[in-house]
Amino acid sequence: MRTATTSPSERAMVHAPPRPLTHNKGVRTVFYHLMVAASALVMLYPILWLFASSFKSRAEIWTNVSALVPQEFTLMNYVNGWKGFGGITFATFYANSFFYTGVATVLTVTASAIVAYGFARIQFTGRRFWFATMLTTLMLPVQVQIIPQYIVFSQLGWINTFYPLLLPRIGGQAFFIFMIMQFIRGIPKDLDEAAEMDGCGKGSIFFRIILPQIAPAMITAAIFAFYWTWEDFLTPLIYLNAPRLYTVSLALRAFADPSGTTDWGAIFAMSSLSLAPVFVIFILFQRFLVEGISTTGLKG
Amino acid sequence: MREAISARTQPQAVRKRKRSLRHDNLMGYLFISPWLIAFFAFTLLPIAASFLLAFTNYDVLNPNWKWVGLANFERMFMQDPRYLKSLQATFFYAFIAIPLRLVFALAVAMLLNTNRRGVSGYRAAYYAPSIVGGSVAVAVMWRQIFGADGLVNAVLGTDIAWLGNPNTAIWTLIILAVWQFGSPMLIFLAGLKQIPREFYEAAAIDGANSWQQFWRITLPLLTPIIFFNLVMQLISGFMVFTQAFIITGGAPLDTTLFYALYLYQRAFVSLQMGYASAMAWVLLALIAIMTALVFRSSSYWVFYGSQED
Amino acid sequence: MRSRLSVLVMLLMVVALVMSACAPAAAPGAAPAAEGDSAAPAADSGQKIELRIAWWGSQNRHDRTIAVIEQFEQLHPNIDVVYEFSGWDDHWTKMTTQAAGGNLPDIMQQDYARLEEWVSRGLLLPLDEYVADGTLNFANVSDTALAGGRLDGKLYGVNLGTNSMTVVIDADKLAEAGMEAPKPDWTFAEFEQFVTALHDKLGIYGFAGTLENEQLWKNIYLSLGEWVYNEDGSALGYEDDQPLIDYLSMVKRLQDAGVTPSAEERIAMRGKGVEDDKIVTGAAAATYVWSNQIVALANAAGEGRNFILVPMPRPAGGASANYLKPSMFFSITSQARQPKEAAMFIDFFTNNVEANTVLMAERGVPVSSEVRTALEPMLNTPQKQMFDYIASIESSVSPIPRPDVAGHANVINNVYWPLVMDPLFLGQQSVEDAVKVLREQANAVLSETASQ
Repeated sequence: MRTATTSPSERAMVHAPPRPLTHNKGVRTVFYHLMVAASALVMLYPILWLFASSFKSRAEIWTNVSALVPQEFTLMNYVNGWKGFGGITFATFYANSFFYTGVATVLTVTASAIVAYGFARIQFTGRRFWFATMLTTLMLPVQVQIIPQYIVFSQLGWINTFYPLLLPRIGGQAFFIFMIMQFIRGIPKDLDEAAEMDGCGKGSIFFRIILPQIAPAMITAAIFAFYWTWEDFLTPLIYLNAPRLYTVSLALRAFADPSGTTDWGAIFAMSSLSLAPVFVIFILFQRFLVEGISTTGLKG
Repeated sequence: MREAISARTQPQAVRKRKRSLRHDNLMGYLFISPWLIAFFAFTLLPIAASFLLAFTNYDVLNPNWKWVGLANFERMFMQDPRYLKSLQATFFYAFIAIPLRLVFALAVAMLLNTNRRGVSGYRAAYYAPSIVGGSVAVAVMWRQIFGADGLVNAVLGTDIAWLGNPNTAIWTLIILAVWQFGSPMLIFLAGLKQIPREFYEAAAIDGANSWQQFWRITLPLLTPIIFFNLVMQLISGFMVFTQAFIITGGAPLDTTLFYALYLYQRAFVSLQMGYASAMAWVLLALIAIMTALVFRSSSYWVFYGSQED
Repeated sequence: MRSRLSVLVMLLMVVALVMSACAPAAAPGAAPAAEGDSAAPAADSGQKIELRIAWWGSQNRHDRTIAVIEQFEQLHPNIDVVYEFSGWDDHWTKMTTQAAGGNLPDIMQQDYARLEEWVSRGLLLPLDEYVADGTLNFANVSDTALAGGRLDGKLYGVNLGTNSMTVVIDADKLAEAGMEAPKPDWTFAEFEQFVTALHDKLGIYGFAGTLENEQLWKNIYLSLGEWVYNEDGSALGYEDDQPLIDYLSMVKRLQDAGVTPSAEERIAMRGKGVEDDKIVTGAAAATYVWSNQIVALANAAGEGRNFILVPMPRPAGGASANYLKPSMFFSITSQARQPKEAAMFIDFFTNNVEANTVLMAERGVPVSSEVRTALEPMLNTPQKQMFDYIASIESSVSPIPRPDVAGHANVINNVYWPLVMDPLFLGQQSVEDAVKVLREQANAVLSETASQ
């Protein structure tokens, strides 16, 4: 996709040595690829293992655990896993997960960027107080909030709906707000001030000046928000009781029973499959990380 | 302060500033209003409730709980040896895993901050351990890797049950945490992408080598992001839960009994929700103090492109 | 709204609404919404009765249970069964949360270890009324099978399958060692000899199971006609520590001789499914499981493996160390809206032969003799072994002990493992000290729980 021929970026390469160009550079590149690829294999091991296990037969899963290549290749685990429970297949669970994750990600990232701009660039009374409060909410373990929160939502009649999962996202999430704030604060203020001179309001500064520059931060936030929502099981567990509303991560947890018979092959298969959307989102989004600030506008 | 100085020098600007200050209040609250609304509607209540419960013997199932004053806090520090062990395990983990994770994340982010061919593939690979998360499937794998006849022993030629040995169990969890450095790495990467390329070009013209460029440009300009990652890793490091929950369950000898895990056990296994709430608020206080210290220190080492108050 | 926490939270809600102008638009509807059951709002079309039910399990159990629910709905077109299922941990997180919110289902799957805790908090209904009026028909169910669900003379849970612990021996390894299977009434001394011989002759672990598990602690005192807890759950129920000291000394000897996996290995494997057991890979010649787990074990081990089931060993001079344990119960909660229909469903689940041919003893050996007879010809090998094993010990087992006391989970998690067994087997305290710590610390926890 992205070839190394684009000269401006090549020229600016951090590691580009000043003097003897071609020869040294080739050696460096080979060395780089060797080293990075070797460690990448170590990093990929868990995924490879999971994937390999998902193709093992029932007997092989436990008697040939560490093998990365199944002796006998079977697709049965995917068939059995996909069936889901009592006629509700993973198609349903995927639909629910995509709905929950999609809406939650968009809400979270958008709201977080707006709030982050408020905290990072606008002086207002109580700013420090509200920021400290926001960070503090991250420090209270969720385990002690579950029950009071459940009582609130059940009094509102929102059990078995997506409201308890989605509505809290309208305020963004503290992690992303703080993260985007830090990116905004890294941007020189001259631009804002110049725009203000030109008569731009805070709103249009945000949309015209800030937003394009924090694209890497927004992309990163989107990747995380997607993954964290996708794998979240606790909120769906508490609020989505009807199996038709189960998400993929919740359904995955309904496979295993340490006191009975567990179809581990199906677990491995559906776990592998559940990583696919996360991976796809990552690959799609991280491509944009290549394009930093200097190609999107800011000129010194 | 700055207002005052400019006021004396430029009276016209004063009026403008004042108007914009009022304007700022309105705009400020307007911009943070989504968060404020969500906070008052959904977050404040459960937090307030958990605070009140910390002074009760609420056990979830029993409707007739009583106020017990400070008894929960007293018990925590005076009569609960496991509580002290959980503190110990958590501090040990946090002080080793957090710095290691950050250093790894930054180093790898630097390594992958290039436009070389294949770098997207590498990024995906290095991010991979972070997305396998805490599923039951993966717990099986960790036990296998660190088991007596597992991969680690095969490679090292040792014969240690890593997860059952009180000297090694916490280290396996630390290694896992370091291995899963994907999220801080990605944030660093985004931060590196935001550093204007022109800075490096200028430095290269001045003859700075890449090492000097790192110290003079990359590191200072990255400090807001380093600061962010440090604060967030600190918070999440002290609240670490999942790995211990699915892999060791706190054993052996409570050496991996992380604070949040113990709190969960008290809350949902022993059903001592009042006690668990008290534990939660002590944890909050601990993290808040440490975070405040980091914030205090930040004025000495964090450089923002924009001046702040 | 039955709990004071609900009242507290409601109060806080009102305060929050008054104090902040930022209240969500939906808030005004809050109070009336609390009126009806919030689950499945669309269900009240016509006059259908909604019956809610929750259980834990694996895919296999979910599929079978849902199929039975569908059978039941066909028989009772006026009843709409709304169900929810999850894994073990999730089930309890969810049920405790729902209990706090006053939103429990009509029927919940219960566990022997938690029954008393839930009954003592008034969360389960006694079922005797429905037994008396015939809604629950136990004509084909022996009283031994029901006894486990009884507390203070009242029935709070209907046993869904009978279980008992069993030593599993790999028959082929046994033959390879040239040894005979042990007698059903074997003692710990014979057990020690037996597993040591297996280890010596085969060079693999003689026994893989975690012998310091609390189940075996219970077995010892049950066999001696005592029980680990006293009547009101305020202290340990036995006076003499010697049998436990003798037993733990034996476990220590076996560990030191390499007959069992090391303490470190046992800890690493604790609480995992039977699939992880070393007997599966052939690295051990014997282990122990609950009788229903033989099915999972045989599954994981694969085709062509043969296992023998033997009762648990006992202390010298003791009675049987086995008892028939209800694998799990269906209980009707005190927050149930349709207790009568709930009882009808439980009756169907217990007695209906067609339903049980779908369930296929997945929760353990069915309690109804009629159902057992009907299933007999349809069983596969491990299922048949499970049935035969229960039938073979039924007449000789010790009577079932009282359900675990309210402080049980606390004792096991906060005392038994971290303060007693782990330090003992990791070599940090002597057997005598460990047993002393158990008595002191367990009594402290129990007396505190009982006084609340």
